[in-house]
Amino acid sequence: MPKCIIDGREAEFTPGQNLIEVAKNAGIDIPLFCYHPGLSVVAQCRMCAVEVEKMPKLQTACSTMATEGMVVKTKSPKTAENQKSVMEFLLANHPLDCPICDKSGECDLQDNSYKYGSAYSRYTEERRTYLDLDMGPVIKKNMNRCIHCTRCIRFGSEVAGIHEMVALKRGNNTEITTIDGKPLETDYAGNYADICPTGSLTIKDFRFKKRVWFLTKVPTVCEGCSKGCNMEVHQDNNQIYRCIPRENMEINRHWLCDEGRFNFHYVEREDRLLDPARSKSGGLEVCDWGTSIDLAKATLDGKQIAFLIGSDLTQEEGAAILQFRSQHYPGAPVYHFGTPGVVSSADDAPEDRILKRKSKTSNLHGLEKLGIPGFTKLPKEITALLVIRGGRATLPLEIDGVEKVGLGVFMKDQAMMFSVILPGLSFAEKDGTILNYEGREQKLKRALQPLGQSKPVSEILMMWVNRKKAHGAA
Amino acid sequence: METPETLFIQYFNEESRPLAFYQKNMAGYTAVKKALTLSPDDIISEMKKSNMRGRGGAGFPTGMKWGFIPKQSPKAKYLVCNADESEPGTFKDRDIMRYTPHLLIEGMVIGGFAIGAHHGYIYIRGEYTREAKLLDQAIQEAYDAGYLGKNIQGSGFDFDLTVHRGAGAYICGEETGLLNSLEGKRGEPRVKPPFPAQAGAFGGPTIVNNVETLAAVPYIINRGGEWFSGLGKLEKSGGTRLFCVSGHVKKPGVYELGAGSVTLRQLIYDHCHGILGDKKLKAVIPGGSSAPVLTADEIDVIADIEPLMKIGTMLGSAAILVVSEDYCVVKLLQRITRFYAHESCGQCTPCREGCKWMEDIIERIEHGHGREEDLAMLLDISNNISGRTLCALGDAAAGPVMSFVKKFRADFEAHIRGGKCPNV
Repeated sequence: MPKCIIDGREAEFTPGQNLIEVAKNAGIDIPLFCYHPGLSVVAQCRMCAVEVEKMPKLQTACSTMATEGMVVKTKSPKTAENQKSVMEFLLANHPLDCPICDKSGECDLQDNSYKYGSAYSRYTEERRTYLDLDMGPVIKKNMNRCIHCTRCIRFGSEVAGIHEMVALKRGNNTEITTIDGKPLETDYAGNYADICPTGSLTIKDFRFKKRVWFLTKVPTVCEGCSKGCNMEVHQDNNQIYRCIPRENMEINRHWLCDEGRFNFHYVEREDRLLDPARSKSGGLEVCDWGTSIDLAKATLDGKQIAFLIGSDLTQEEGAAILQFRSQHYPGAPVYHFGTPGVVSSADDAPEDRILKRKSKTSNLHGLEKLGIPGFTKLPKEITALLVIRGGRATLPLEIDGVEKVGLGVFMKDQAMMFSVILPGLSFAEKDGTILNYEGREQKLKRALQPLGQSKPVSEILMMWVNRKKAHGAA
Repeated sequence: METPETLFIQYFNEESRPLAFYQKNMAGYTAVKKALTLSPDDIISEMKKSNMRGRGGAGFPTGMKWGFIPKQSPKAKYLVCNADESEPGTFKDRDIMRYTPHLLIEGMVIGGFAIGAHHGYIYIRGEYTREAKLLDQAIQEAYDAGYLGKNIQGSGFDFDLTVHRGAGAYICGEETGLLNSLEGKRGEPRVKPPFPAQAGAFGGPTIVNNVETLAAVPYIINRGGEWFSGLGKLEKSGGTRLFCVSGHVKKPGVYELGAGSVTLRQLIYDHCHGILGDKKLKAVIPGGSSAPVLTADEIDVIADIEPLMKIGTMLGSAAILVVSEDYCVVKLLQRITRFYAHESCGQCTPCREGCKWMEDIIERIEHGHGREEDLAMLLDISNNISGRTLCALGDAAAGPVMSFVKKFRADFEAHIRGGKCPNV
């Protein structure tokens, strides 16, 4: 591998790599704003300018490719002077409203200011101001905080495939905005806020909800479709505040769709049923676990039953259910369900050119690997159903007219279709393995303690089995 | 005073414009016929011999530039004429386009042949409405006479030429900003590399040349690179130069003189007959408004690339702005800085933020609200812009500030201490 010298350190590189990436691999951070590994290089912010031997001027590390034997200085006086100056320029018109800015604590401008900036400002002219802009349901813009890095413009045209962010006017008056101030159209809008290096673009759903430094970040996988995008769940005090993409260059790169990003809200919806319950005419009646399992058993025992299991369940849950079936309801058919119109993995395909896939559940391909077929129609002889899911799989419509027990995450209106409901866990409350569309195994990681009285599938089935034994003995 | 040969100035009148005049009196389109019998390499080598250096402002050797174009390219190559002429004080290309458009057209056909381009664009300043129309007419004449289009003069070489009008931005005179604008994009300079010779217009290898540069090409082909080089009086600068003299001189206008044959003093006092009202000379900006300013006792310098560079300024587009003692230099700098702040594209940090900051400070000083620390701060800000921006506009804005503050410090201090402009 060819090598160059960065800050006196030998750094290996692959031809075509820029100095930012090469330095990063060598453990050297070059400060930057406009560069983003997932976007084209524009060299506009000038923060990453470094000294390159034999070049009279500073060179932007984002647009300079490493060459064999190149000698680079990222911490020389000349480099530092430029960094300090760029910080001064960027902060000249910045409102410095960090105390009420949601980006505070994870803001490139704030962090670089702390590291490379000056403690006071020489700028005494009138500050440039702009009006805020509501950019649709996902993003709110505060242009005063903007440092004109144009990451958002490039994200729209290069990744989301829609040129909806533009620069208007020019020079000092340049405004980054949507065309004619229209709402954003892309369903990947959340990424605009992720890549914004300041608090200019913030996610409405998260605004003013939490200081970011209180958040516990749990690396997990999105359950929104069969793509398996890597993401982080950010929670505090057992409450999810947001989900953000986690880099995985082989799957989602740096991005996450809005559907996946905001999917978590059902976990803490007020009408989620968090207690074991039975439905009675006119409503649900909460009961204890023992009673509800007895009721569930009574509903199914002596009937021709089938299992309908959501493809939002993990491999471990799937295997536990199969084992439970063969030991306690041998011969009962098991089908998976999850997305209307997607019966089997053969129906799963890309939904757009970016990330989304047609299967709106995460583990369709995993359950198929366990040999579970997709649900199409209830066999005639079936008279009762045990329906098990997480919170994502869409309940099939074709299951009226039989008695049903529901195990999993259900909203109260959904719960009414079941005789008995045993509250299970959402993706955020459990660990487990899922297989994405290409068969890649990934781990869900528990971010929350189970809410209310809800319990893991395995524990509920175990209670069921033990209850059965106890009854049998009696 | 010697009267050397000139290429353009004697034709700067309405009669020279038609194709018939061009062919009858200026050996019109004989150079292209000759060029089409040569190899592209021969043409480029003739250009190298001519010591022609780009007349847009950077002064890059034209033959060498043409030589950068890859011989083979999967993408179409382009020859683009930069007729944006946006540097304040410059008005020579306008005369070429207005009076001798066929020189430019013929030069472009030859240039296109030399670099293997089959399409040329003349990117003309939006304000030059009349010249754009005249160019279109001349291009039509050339098409009709078989000097443009398919199979030019039976040579098998095709070359089309399109006039593209700008929309009024200084930055579209920067070659990559020009190319973006030509492509219909926002007029913002691009990151270099890649240079236009590798990836320019529409991603294809592209050469961007100034009007005066291309208009000299027919002469170079007809009379030889060595002859052209001999018109210049300095080793590295061939040909004649069109100087645009404006400001407080008795006879402003376009002057054509051998490159390196004249000092600023000779130009101002001999050719332009001295300062208006026989006032004292205060300052000279020798290369368009972005060139660092010279004081009255710095003008015994040859008006060419290296001599001016040696004293810390530049020849640029050879636009000489002459300022008499009557005019306030602080106000002049305020106007220059306002121009560059207004024309900054806003892409890169130092230029976007710094130019406006400098403008605000200078405006305060001019209006009597300056502070002692402002001058040191101006020098610091201009230093933080200079050499650190994406394109040369930052340098263009910083150079005047640095040089005015250093060379006319007393005028600035008089504004600050007196609380007003002494000239008001």
